[in-house]
Amino acid sequence: MAGPIAPERTPETTTGEEFQVDRPWVTLVWDDPVNLMNYVTFVLQELFGYDEPTATELMLQVHNEGKAIVSSGPRERMEHDTNRLHAYGLWATFQRDS
Amino acid sequence: MKPFRRRGDAVVARFVDAEASIVGLLLDQLEQLLTADAEDAGGDPVLDRLLPAGHEDLEVAADYRELTESALREGKADDLALVRATLPPQGGEVRLDADQARAWLRTTNDLRLALGTRLGISAETEPPEIDPSGDGTGEEGSQLTVYYWLTAVQGSLVDALAAGLGGRR
Repeated sequence: MAGPIAPERTPETTTGEEFQVDRPWVTLVWDDPVNLMNYVTFVLQELFGYDEPTATELMLQVHNEGKAIVSSGPRERMEHDTNRLHAYGLWATFQRDS
Repeated sequence: MKPFRRRGDAVVARFVDAEASIVGLLLDQLEQLLTADAEDAGGDPVLDRLLPAGHEDLEVAADYRELTESALREGKADDLALVRATLPPQGGEVRLDADQARAWLRTTNDLRLALGTRLGISAETEPPEIDPSGDGTGEEGSQLTVYYWLTAVQGSLVDALAAGLGGRR
């Protein structure tokens, strides 16, 4: 389950930030065999204020598809969200939305 | 062990002597790992799991780690100290308020991540058969038993807290 992270596709030909301002950053949670399903649901409710059905749906997406986007927005906030998830032991990363 | 239940604003569980000792030992091990010099513990898969990379790009991940890792370690150490302080060493009742319960949640999860990584837990791993004689399971079998015991503790704590989540908001 714990697969490698899909490479972020940023074409070399673009010069960078000015063309990418519209693409927000995202925080991803990845599946792992240890974290309990009810724990992941609880943490998503706790940290992001999702209601239980939404948090459960995201948890199931992590479980079944290997990952899910749990938040999106400016990079700094996604770094912060990743850090909060790491504090709870969830396997999380941030990246530019693809 | 009497699993965690809600009691008014608190959550309450009960551990016997041997269970409290095992948790104490696991806390010591986790503390050693978290305070180990980064060079000594370099490449330890448990540490990689407890303090994971935040980004696939090595350079971005390294910058991010420099900004966040020490606070993450400190948070884990604070949680661990709180669990130690609220666990009666000879066993007995554990009674936690909302903040203490969250520290227990994070620390029991870290203990499970550490054990689970060492044991190579996968989605297919099954709990060991109960062996009343206590023989024949070996070191790995008994660690697996501890892992599933922690799973039961943490699972009951999540359920006890989730039951109160609606009322808290």
